[in-house]
Amino acid sequence: MTLRALIVDDEEPARRLLAERLAAAADIEVVGECRNGFEAVQAIQRLVPDVVFLDVQMPKLDGFEVLELLDEPPAVVFTTAYDEYALRAFEVHAVDYLLKPFGEQRLGEALARLRERLARGERPAPPPLARTARAGAPLERVLVRDGERIHVLAPERIDYVEARGDGVVLKVGDRRLRKATPLGELAAELDPRRFLRVHRSYLLNLERLAGLELYAKDSRVALLKDGSRIPVSRAGYARLRELL
Amino acid sequence: MLHPLLARPRRLLLYLALWAPLALLLVGLVAAGSPQSRLAAVAVSLPPAVLYAFLCLGSWHLCQAHPLPATPLPRLLTTHFPAAVLSTAVWLALLAGWGHLLTSLGIPEAGGVLARHLPLLATAGLLLYLLATAGHYALIAQLAADAAERRALQMQVAAREAELAALRAQLDPHFLFNSLHSVAALCSSDPAAARRMIEHLGDFLRANLELSGLERIPLGRELQLALSYLQIQRIRFGERLRYVHEVDEASMALEVPPLVLQPLVENAVKHGIAQLVDGGAVRIQAKRRRDTLYLIVDNPLDPDATPSRGTELGLENLRRRLAAAYGGRALLTAEARPEGFRVEVRVPLVAAAASAAPTPTTEAPPAGLPDPRR
Repeated sequence: MTLRALIVDDEEPARRLLAERLAAAADIEVVGECRNGFEAVQAIQRLVPDVVFLDVQMPKLDGFEVLELLDEPPAVVFTTAYDEYALRAFEVHAVDYLLKPFGEQRLGEALARLRERLARGERPAPPPLARTARAGAPLERVLVRDGERIHVLAPERIDYVEARGDGVVLKVGDRRLRKATPLGELAAELDPRRFLRVHRSYLLNLERLAGLELYAKDSRVALLKDGSRIPVSRAGYARLRELL
Repeated sequence: MLHPLLARPRRLLLYLALWAPLALLLVGLVAAGSPQSRLAAVAVSLPPAVLYAFLCLGSWHLCQAHPLPATPLPRLLTTHFPAAVLSTAVWLALLAGWGHLLTSLGIPEAGGVLARHLPLLATAGLLLYLLATAGHYALIAQLAADAAERRALQMQVAAREAELAALRAQLDPHFLFNSLHSVAALCSSDPAAARRMIEHLGDFLRANLELSGLERIPLGRELQLALSYLQIQRIRFGERLRYVHEVDEASMALEVPPLVLQPLVENAVKHGIAQLVDGGAVRIQAKRRRDTLYLIVDNPLDPDATPSRGTELGLENLRRRLAAAYGGRALLTAEARPEGFRVEVRVPLVAAAASAAPTPTTEAPPAGLPDPRR
């Protein structure tokens, strides 16, 4: 069985070296090379490789953000000069983590692991939100893939987030963008001083709040500056009063 | 150990100056007590009175051997009183000898002076010796205080140097790892480029080691360091990394702290160019304006990129190094604008202040620099 591989690295010499070494392996076929995170997301969707050799620090999207935007991520081998992402790599079930500069032998080990993993037919779980830059601090940008387009959103641009199915819909101006992340997970990563869970299914950007209306007993509606309305539960109202 | 008063002529003079009134008082008393032979009394007592100043210096060694707070009082008394008696006896013997000498030289009254004033002279000898002892203890305390102060100062200097060493821009190991990875890649495909890269790396590492230990270096060398860094990164990033530098020839010799430009360029590449799909240009400018050197590095930014903590740390480190080197007279300002990131460092030209170039009288920034008032 031939394994279809994609190489993602923003440095040309690094891509060349990997392509050269993978060419030596009989069962690996390099189906493409990408120079940044945007290209990588598109190429993975289009080419559906078995494995992606993924650099971490790249323009636009880093390696973890690339994974976050994929519906069904392929097997991943990280290649980076930084050792501090190894734990995150483990969390996203990477096959291996190659520290540059790595030699043929180390690459051979990674390939052996890869073959073993794919032979077992394991599919990696969808990775959680990417937090490569600053673990612990609130999310500084929210990534949304909209067909071929990728939106990089500053959180303050989001008006509110609504739970929809397993994921969410982000209301951004007059756009509604779907994202596969569950509302609870997103709420935990966004700045709690800005975003408040006003309802089981709604996360509100407090800067958009224009007023509150009593709708029925124990049931309120938040009036937003752009005129839209979202429901506020009793618990949500209590949290809102505590904060304001 | 040499007596501290003998080691320093200025201290010795001060000691003799303090001694002089006492010696003169003694001579005066002796002379007053010898109405018939005043001149002989002075001739007999003056030289020994001066000589005694030196004799009393001997108590220094006893004082040192019996430091004040550590030695019990009885021990002090049993040490210094016999010493006082002994030195007084020696001194009186000298006086007697001197009197004899003067008598034999034809001053017949000289011999009687000692005998007539023995109680006065003996008392004076004891008192002067004890006074000198007290003086020595005061001197020892003073020297100890001086030494403590000097040690405190030395520790301050050492602490500052340690801080500076810690602040000294550290070589980023990831830069080395990535560069070595590129060399490995180039070895088979472009051996000439691999060789160039190794040479650039060698130059960069050597310059980094040499320069970081110095306090000031010519701007030209700092620029060379920054450029060799850029040449290495250029091989990694290819066409994505472009750079220009605008430094007038006259500024090349101006003195700057080492690693003032290179970290700015490193920031520009890491947090600016490397985050851009199509890359961009790093621009280095250096301009002199009267007694200030302006160093400016700017680069384009990806508007979507999250502001990096690495940039802030790198700049804060440089800011503190500048503060340590120039106090408040050096300035580092950084601003992210839509068109890019721009860092400006103002370095005061300390030594060159006197030989300032023809100075324009207006307050406007140098030509080509954006006017901050705008």
